[in-house]
Amino acid sequence: MWSTAREIAAGDVVIVWMTRDIIQPLVITPGKELNSKYGYYRHDELIGVPYGSKVRSRNGKGFIHLLRPTPELWTLALPHRTQILYLADIAFVTSWLDIRPGSKVIEAGTGSGSFSHSVARTVGPRGHLWSYEFHEVRAEKAREEFTRHGMDGIVTLTHRNVCKQGFTVEDTVDAVFLDLPAPWDAVEHAKKALRKDRATRICCFSPCMEQVLRTVAALNEAGFTNITMYETLLRPHQVDAASPLLPVSAISTKLKHSEARREEKRLRQIANARLGMERRAAKRKAGEGEDAEGAGGEEKEGKRVKTESAQQGREGGGEERPSPEEQAQDEAEALTEIRAASNTQGQDEQSATPEPRKITLSKAFPEVRGHTSYLTFAVLLPLSTATPASQAGGNDGSGAVRTEVRTLTAQIETIRMTC
Amino acid sequence: MDVGEGPSRAHHAPSITRDDRIQIGHTLLIKIPSGDIRSIKLEKDATVNLGKFGSFYANELVGQPFGLTYEIVDKRLKVLPPRPLQEVEDTEATNELINDGQFVQPLTVEEIEALKKSGLHASEIIKKQIEQHANYSLKTEYSKEKYKKRKEMKYSKSFSVIEPTMFNVCEYWFNKDQNRLRDIRPDSLAQMMNLANIRPGGRYIAVDDASGVVVSAILDRLGGQGRLITICDVDSPPAYPVMVQMNFRKEVVTPTMASLNWATADEEYTPIIASTEPPAGKFKSDGQRARLNKRKVASDALMQTREELFSGEFEGLIIASEYDPHSIIEKLYPYLAGSASIVVHSPHVQVVTNLQNQLRDLPGYLGPTVTEGWLRQYQVLPGRTHPMMNGSGSGGFIFHVLKIYDDPTASSVMVHRHRKKAKQSSEAPSAASNGTKEGSVTVTASDLESTPAPASAESSGPTEDVEMRTL
Repeated sequence: MWSTAREIAAGDVVIVWMTRDIIQPLVITPGKELNSKYGYYRHDELIGVPYGSKVRSRNGKGFIHLLRPTPELWTLALPHRTQILYLADIAFVTSWLDIRPGSKVIEAGTGSGSFSHSVARTVGPRGHLWSYEFHEVRAEKAREEFTRHGMDGIVTLTHRNVCKQGFTVEDTVDAVFLDLPAPWDAVEHAKKALRKDRATRICCFSPCMEQVLRTVAALNEAGFTNITMYETLLRPHQVDAASPLLPVSAISTKLKHSEARREEKRLRQIANARLGMERRAAKRKAGEGEDAEGAGGEEKEGKRVKTESAQQGREGGGEERPSPEEQAQDEAEALTEIRAASNTQGQDEQSATPEPRKITLSKAFPEVRGHTSYLTFAVLLPLSTATPASQAGGNDGSGAVRTEVRTLTAQIETIRMTC
Repeated sequence: MDVGEGPSRAHHAPSITRDDRIQIGHTLLIKIPSGDIRSIKLEKDATVNLGKFGSFYANELVGQPFGLTYEIVDKRLKVLPPRPLQEVEDTEATNELINDGQFVQPLTVEEIEALKKSGLHASEIIKKQIEQHANYSLKTEYSKEKYKKRKEMKYSKSFSVIEPTMFNVCEYWFNKDQNRLRDIRPDSLAQMMNLANIRPGGRYIAVDDASGVVVSAILDRLGGQGRLITICDVDSPPAYPVMVQMNFRKEVVTPTMASLNWATADEEYTPIIASTEPPAGKFKSDGQRARLNKRKVASDALMQTREELFSGEFEGLIIASEYDPHSIIEKLYPYLAGSASIVVHSPHVQVVTNLQNQLRDLPGYLGPTVTEGWLRQYQVLPGRTHPMMNGSGSGGFIFHVLKIYDDPTASSVMVHRHRKKAKQSSEAPSAASNGTKEGSVTVTASDLESTPAPASAESSGPTEDVEMRTL
């Protein structure tokens, strides 16, 4: 399919990995340039670079990775013309249908070729894939891609509506994969294309349960057995390196520190207020006579009482609390103190470790794919051949068994032909 | 193959790694009416004993295609045609008046044994039971079907031969004892094969402590072309018991595979090999000559395999091991080609998440991911379609990463942007997202979406269609 050489050559298809979400194919063409957010590259300078290299931009800013194409990377990089199949479904279908080197497989429809590339890789040069696409433009695009990726020896692409016109091979394939809106219309055609001398398999890929039910009925009617259905999905996990979780003793200490600091501030405020009052009292005493003092004295007393009671209020805690900003500042200061203390401790215990040891935390990504499609599978059993023992057998009554086997076989044939 | 339209009857290429027909010497997966699957080796002229389900002559199966169902009649086999799914009629019946109790089905054990002995066919026995069943007519049609099926499982003398596809063999082992497979379920195994890009003609290294399920799958997908070197923790050739049920064609599969252990796979170590020359200078006997010859062949093969491993350029490394995967990757990394896939499976999430954190800050690794497979099977019967009542809790976790050749002189686009910003104003906003760092630069979550992540740091910042973009 793609190049197996160690280094990139002119004309190669290469997968350019810029970020996890920006993975694109690139055809290495002498004279051309790749200009992107991640730098500027001349194709000529990429020739001779080993596959798998990180390459820096000409202007020194940015880099990309040049990867060897695989069907899995192709699935992430390919230009979508339709909804495509992803790893979980592709892998499961390939496995259940027993697709392996030498297998002969039918796929309808081709779509954007995601499944096609994987099958071609798995069956290899001794196997074959007949792929059918009813949309002419998409069929052409797929054909171009298959050719460019060296798949012409393995894949035969036909532009055709298989539900109406059937397939182009008979009694040939080991497995059929139908990704169609109405797969039940293609079941009989599939039966014709499947070989009859061994068990063969079929898979119908449909997003809706109603389609599954109709497909199951059609498969049953056509004589398929072992009909079953699966759903398969991948849950990706996000993995982080985090600081070890703080114990509550640290928080307890922090709260105690901040409470102590608040109390300190409060006492300071009381002391300052008292000082201020005493100074003002001294000033007035110096500036006015006894009468003024007498009258003012009551007022001041009143004020003093009020102030004192207000202070008592604060002392008692009551409803009055420090402002949120003050509280936050206290707590932040306290926390820094604690952190500094633990860091010093850490440095005393171990020699110069700049960062505290990280722990691994993981969880499933918050957004995951919930459904792709239902995979309906079935087997088409071969017509049995008489057992060799019965054929060779003598006069021990096995003749009756032999006849029964033949009768049964004939019955099955009749049933099959009328289906 | 000719391109284009028109019918074609292609010549049936025989299966490469496995036989299409049952042979003597095969270890068969036999499904008995109770639903259990037994592993039975087919010996020439022997009798296969299935206990209460009967016994039959082994030779009867020779030459048969896989997948058929047989009835045992006088130790010979009759092919049973497959039964289509029955449409079950909806009636007014409910279980409103049915009481479970002792006297519901009145045939005693002795009566049933007598019927069995008299040679009555299973279907007749079941019919009799139904006739006598006190509440049978009250049951719903679905319930009746279920009843009949349960009785069939008990009384019929039939069995099916299960084709040894990788899927079926893996499923058989997984259901028997998933611990021996280290929780590698058929869907997990399939994903590993695709992620590692296993293809005919490819060259891979595998470390398999999962009874050989991974080795079997790789060999199956190599189809006799390519190379697999396995590394194990024992002196002698490793036992990969799953290979037994695969019934591989030895002459096709054996040449593609070779094994080393953790000592012989060490470049710094010179294996101790006994002399292959006769001490006296001359062979004392033919026996001695044969022995020394055998030893020479083995030591030559060992040296050759070592050379092959050390020459490197392997396309993929697949690990399903009880040992620390980081230590395995460290040892074998030099033998991988650029752009090679490293796939690690573990039954425990901690093993793979720790591995990702160990590799995240090292250059030479690109795009690490941890995924968990989810699989649900449905019963699809007319009028009775629903997920299976019993499901599988876990198929393990898969870690995947690509090997790349780093360029230490390359610097990220974001680094330049931040330097610019730093020059222009005071510090760039630094909010460490989930405690991760990219090299020496701290980036915000929005930056992550457009930053080319250096090989090391990969963590948060998922975009909408996560499943679309992660493998």
